[in-house]
Amino acid sequence: MIEEPYRWVEAIANRREYVETQLAQGSPIAAVGFRDGILFLTIGRRSRQKIFEIYDRIAMGAIGHPGDIERLRMAAIELASTEGFTRSAADVSLRRLVHYSLSPVMKSAFEQVYGPPYLARLLFAEIGSSPKEDLFLRIDYDGSIAADGPTAQPRQRLAILSGTNPSAELMEKFLQQNHVTDAELPDAITAAADGWSVGRMAMGESAIKELPDRATIRKYRDEQLTNSGIEGAVLERDCKSAIRYRTLSDEELRSVLRK
Amino acid sequence: MDKPPLALDPNFSGASEDFPAVLRRKGLLQVAPEPTAAAGGHLFLPTESTTILAFKFSGGVLVAGDRRATAGNTVVYDRADKVLEIDRHSIMAIAGVPATAWEMARVLEHSFQYFRRTQLQEMSVDGKVRALSKLLRDNFGFVMQGVGVVVPIFATYDGNSKPEARLYFYDAMGAQFEVTDYAATGSGSPAVRGILYYENNWGSKKLQELNEEEAVAIALRALDTAAEADTSTGGVDRSGKIFPLIKIVSCDGITTLPEGRVAEIFKQRVA
Repeated sequence: MIEEPYRWVEAIANRREYVETQLAQGSPIAAVGFRDGILFLTIGRRSRQKIFEIYDRIAMGAIGHPGDIERLRMAAIELASTEGFTRSAADVSLRRLVHYSLSPVMKSAFEQVYGPPYLARLLFAEIGSSPKEDLFLRIDYDGSIAADGPTAQPRQRLAILSGTNPSAELMEKFLQQNHVTDAELPDAITAAADGWSVGRMAMGESAIKELPDRATIRKYRDEQLTNSGIEGAVLERDCKSAIRYRTLSDEELRSVLRK
Repeated sequence: MDKPPLALDPNFSGASEDFPAVLRRKGLLQVAPEPTAAAGGHLFLPTESTTILAFKFSGGVLVAGDRRATAGNTVVYDRADKVLEIDRHSIMAIAGVPATAWEMARVLEHSFQYFRRTQLQEMSVDGKVRALSKLLRDNFGFVMQGVGVVVPIFATYDGNSKPEARLYFYDAMGAQFEVTDYAATGSGSPAVRGILYYENNWGSKKLQELNEEEAVAIALRALDTAAEADTSTGGVDRSGKIFPLIKIVSCDGITTLPEGRVAEIFKQRVA
């Protein structure tokens, strides 16, 4: 297969199709900047955690196979922790973690057609000392990276992870229109939960193609909330502690959305 | 060829490895030689130059340490931090070789966080106490060579089963002893233990009933007494206005007493 480039390309294309199918059911995750930090939010099965703390200023959301997510998560924590231990917490950088470590590993696993690829899509955010320095990075199963960071034009300070591209695009469009980056936390939670609903409605058999009206979104969201768990976490900008990650409780999130 | 920046083990399981093991695998933690009594032929001295004390009072656990660092009979530094915050509810106070002790505190701090982040749950108080014990045990080879003795106190607040303050002291080999009232280590500790024992039994109040101001006053008096006879203990430097470092662990976390407040209590109740 290696001697025949055409068959290698074909194998990669097949593998891409296979991985996309596997990921297509992944429930969306939204990461949005708000006045005092960055919010991660998703709704889904209660049994599985999808938002994680990586290091003092770094959080991760993931969809895919739990085994693959775990291996990448552990690797990311191990790298960040050893860097923070040998140098300092200030030297731990999301850009370096993703560009130099995770991306090459995921790319080579994907392209070595005799080995298994990582069935995972990851969304990272790192909180800076000012909103300008916040960094959002999305890394796909093939190691490709999409960034919204200090060099991105224009800055939108949000990032989406979803099972399918149309879902992610529609969700992003909704949040661009309905979320302001200097919103208070409750407003950010509402926008993110509505955004999640749009992303979820754009998946599966009866996928929507255009943004639905607000009442439809709310109805869908409230239906989903009665059967599913809601999960959220924030990276706080001004915090007495070095650790900026804080999990939001189910009750805290639901009380905001009930209003 | 160098290893790739992120080498993933195909048989990887994130369930078992603790952070010191990660550091050893990566060659980032110095491994102590096997402890042999003959190594170097040094006389093993269990105590080190400093005074650290901790006791429970009505507001939690108070941990205090003098600021002097010495090498032989030379004062090296008079603003050393020997009372170190490990996480939101844990303090490690150290008597011993600073290089080893600070490294140990750093490993410990990262271990607790590494555990929480990878295992998605907080390490139990017993687990934390044991982690420090293991670090001391691993360090014992250095101790026998006469270069790295550390004798810490560990104070924490157990928020889980039965919310209460917990206080432990250790020996250089890693044995842990939980105490009900007070602990002291370092070369000035005999004097401090005498004072705390006396106060607890025949003082106007038991240590556990003291309010914050009374507790700080006793800590300052005890350190000053220790410094009176022990050259390795800084006590309170009246001319340089250097005061002991005092931290309090309670259910709300750790508070460091501002120097102004310590100075004020010192002026009113000690000097």
